[in-house]
Amino acid sequence: MYGWIWRHLPGNAWVKALLSLLLVLVVVYVLFQYVFPWAEPLLPFNDVTVDGQ
Amino acid sequence: MAATTEEDEQERTGESESAPARRPRGRGRIATAVSVFGELLITAGLILGLFVVYSLWWTNVIADREAKKQGNRVRDHWEAKGPGALNTKDGIGFLHVPTMSGGEILVTKGTNTKTLNHGVAGYYTKPIKSALPQDKKGNFTLAAHRDGHGAKFHKIDKIDEGDPIVFESRDKWYVYKVYKTLPETSKYNVRVLDPIPKESGAKKAGRYITLTTCTPVFTSKYRYVVWGKLERIEKVDSERTPPPELD
Repeated sequence: MYGWIWRHLPGNAWVKALLSLLLVLVVVYVLFQYVFPWAEPLLPFNDVTVDGQ
Repeated sequence: MAATTEEDEQERTGESESAPARRPRGRGRIATAVSVFGELLITAGLILGLFVVYSLWWTNVIADREAKKQGNRVRDHWEAKGPGALNTKDGIGFLHVPTMSGGEILVTKGTNTKTLNHGVAGYYTKPIKSALPQDKKGNFTLAAHRDGHGAKFHKIDKIDEGDPIVFESRDKWYVYKVYKTLPETSKYNVRVLDPIPKESGAKKAGRYITLTTCTPVFTSKYRYVVWGKLERIEKVDSERTPPPELD
């Protein structure tokens, strides 16, 4: 999978490394901004109130 | 095992066709599947690791930033002596708990997740409506996060009986004294929010404060409860000199 991505990135090794880094940053951004905030309420780690339900 | 067998086979067939072809193409199938699977596992591990970073660090950064902005707005409302009722949309005041340190905690209305994620303590509107500090009688009930999202009640376990809890409104300091802690209770135990919280040993109507959060740390299995009783009210002077408890 990662090998496939690496082979399909254009340019020489340096360009590839730079592009990979950018890809990683994009993935981390999407995770922090969208995926984790969505997933968090579904997990039982942060309910702090007492309630009847 | 399967991969090895196939590899052997491939090698044998390869030899029969042309000797120099050491790594025939067919080998890939299963080996590729296995390596993709392995990479997926590694990726899953990395994502889980990132999730921990997100919950325990990043949400604090965001929430503290938000709480600070909102807190400043509250102080601005306090200073602006406009006509009409005080604007409490951004919050009703600040909670100071010297034992937990970590500075002031903005108090706002409601305890839903979205509100609490702003790094504030919320006062309950349901299942049992909280009293407000200025009410003559009742229980001022609050909830805040233990971990992440500001983690305002992270050190709730450091609070002992006799410790002060101070609530700061625009013109009053409400000084409460902790008289009972309950390190573990069911999350369904809404009776702890009663106007007279009998579980704490209280018998008469009075002016109580109740802090709730989740316990043990990092999970939400149980709830941690701290009860206090109002000791005295001090007027805020022009310098906003804090009461001696906060020194």
